[in-house]
Amino acid sequence: MSYFAAALVALLAAESLMAAGWGFPNAPIGAPATLLLVHLVVLGWLSLLLCGALFQFVPVLVAKPLYSARLPLPALILLLGGIIALLSGFLGLNGALTAKLPFFPLASVLLAAGFGLVLWNLGCTLWRARPLGLPARFVVVGLLGLAATVAIGITFALVLAGDTTTPTALRLFADGLPIHIIAGLGGWLSLTAMGVSYRLLAMFMLAPEPDRRSTRAVLQLGAWALGVAVLGGTTAILVRRGAALVFSAAGVLGLLTVVLYARDIVHLYQARKRRVLELNSRMAAAAVGSLLVAALLMVVLGSMGTLGRDAGAVVFLVVFGWLSGLGLAKLYKIVPFLTWLECYGPVLGKAPTPRVQDLVAEQRAGKWFGLYFLAVWAGTVALFLDSAWAFRAAAALLLVGTAGIVLQLVRARRLADVPASARFPGGSVRPPLVLSLTRSH
Amino acid sequence: MNSSDQGPLIERAREALRTVIDPELGYNIVDLGLIYEVSIDDTGLAYVLMTTTTRGCPATSYLQEGARESIAQLPGIAGVDVVLTHDPEWSPQKMTAEARHYLGIEEENLR
Repeated sequence: MSYFAAALVALLAAESLMAAGWGFPNAPIGAPATLLLVHLVVLGWLSLLLCGALFQFVPVLVAKPLYSARLPLPALILLLGGIIALLSGFLGLNGALTAKLPFFPLASVLLAAGFGLVLWNLGCTLWRARPLGLPARFVVVGLLGLAATVAIGITFALVLAGDTTTPTALRLFADGLPIHIIAGLGGWLSLTAMGVSYRLLAMFMLAPEPDRRSTRAVLQLGAWALGVAVLGGTTAILVRRGAALVFSAAGVLGLLTVVLYARDIVHLYQARKRRVLELNSRMAAAAVGSLLVAALLMVVLGSMGTLGRDAGAVVFLVVFGWLSGLGLAKLYKIVPFLTWLECYGPVLGKAPTPRVQDLVAEQRAGKWFGLYFLAVWAGTVALFLDSAWAFRAAAALLLVGTAGIVLQLVRARRLADVPASARFPGGSVRPPLVLSLTRSH
Repeated sequence: MNSSDQGPLIERAREALRTVIDPELGYNIVDLGLIYEVSIDDTGLAYVLMTTTTRGCPATSYLQEGARESIAQLPGIAGVDVVLTHDPEWSPQKMTAEARHYLGIEEENLR
């Protein structure tokens, strides 16, 4: 729960900055202000969210307990320290921070240590659970993507700090940004989210998991896309030949991955036994739809030769429509579920307990989710139109929608929507807002 | 007295298990088909064989403990042994008609 709380704070902070006109499109896409914003979103929000979710759901995926229940807390502290140091480094580049501390080397050490603990903990959990099912193998590939993203990111940070001037590092710094983006957004965040979504959506909708051949194809194509981008891309950059071709090949593999994944998810929704969809499943569909639209836009823009110019709009749709939309939708399920376990799990069998659904008010939350997705799509259009003021307006709506969703999560956590007469049966107690007290199974 | 003579007590045990709900589906674990077997020997020792809707379900330990607690408080019960299995795996076909109706699952969708 601490990971989720920290992640949501980062998301609200990033959306506030966007609404205030910070970074792209008011500043160039490579400006320090934009880099700060991007890393606040992908590290502070998405990566912390995904790490917190994986600590909960990798044990579900492999039906084995987490390797260490103690490591997530020091990992979170290291990651938070690393993120703050990295953002401070960007503020320094921007001239907004005059303190002459070695922020980039510090960020490198802290983020490497934090993600190292995450990788070690999840890696050992997965290793002990071999042979792995398909969703867990998605997570393995995603974790490899994380390792690659962090390694390249540290190289960039050390070059920015002037701590390394080796030709290899300088070459990567000059041309390796696509590897960093593909490994991070595609490998780490998207492939992991895809793997977890197969299992979670099937669980929540009582649907049989999709045809294994098709899902295996999604995994293989995604892994190839990542491998081609990271290994092929690095080689091409270092030998100074064929980088554009390699990234195009990775892009085609990535598009095929998305199309097959979307087909799997459509099949999963069609095959569900539970006909009435909960809000989290409806919003997850909106997120997958955003991913599919982003993929189609990449094809259209690529064929028109304007992908470079409109990359910001597509990345915005991927980050806020697909990854953040899916993340918020699943949080709307995970937070009430964990809260239920903490509050009512211990009195199960001793007293009547409410259902998980009794902790939420879907109709009210649905309006905030609706506003959120409308704002995402409006923001995407504003970026295509190159309208900075329209984008700021959309970002303000995005902030309001997100704040509304966060308020619903806090209400679930505080049991505010459970009827007072049923709120504390059998001596059950309200869990703390941020700390999680579930026991391992 | 052997297990077959414990019919009324077994029935009371199954009734007690109905106070335990699967938090996600919001319905009792007996009618969801999560209880595979309930038996009680002549010393009052109850044996429950149960499953969960999915392997690795985060609620597993709470559901096992809830099943144990619900039966342990019945008169005539000396102890409760709750064993978890996934053989066979649970499927929606194991639900009673009432549970299926509650969850909005039509008969034709089960095939």
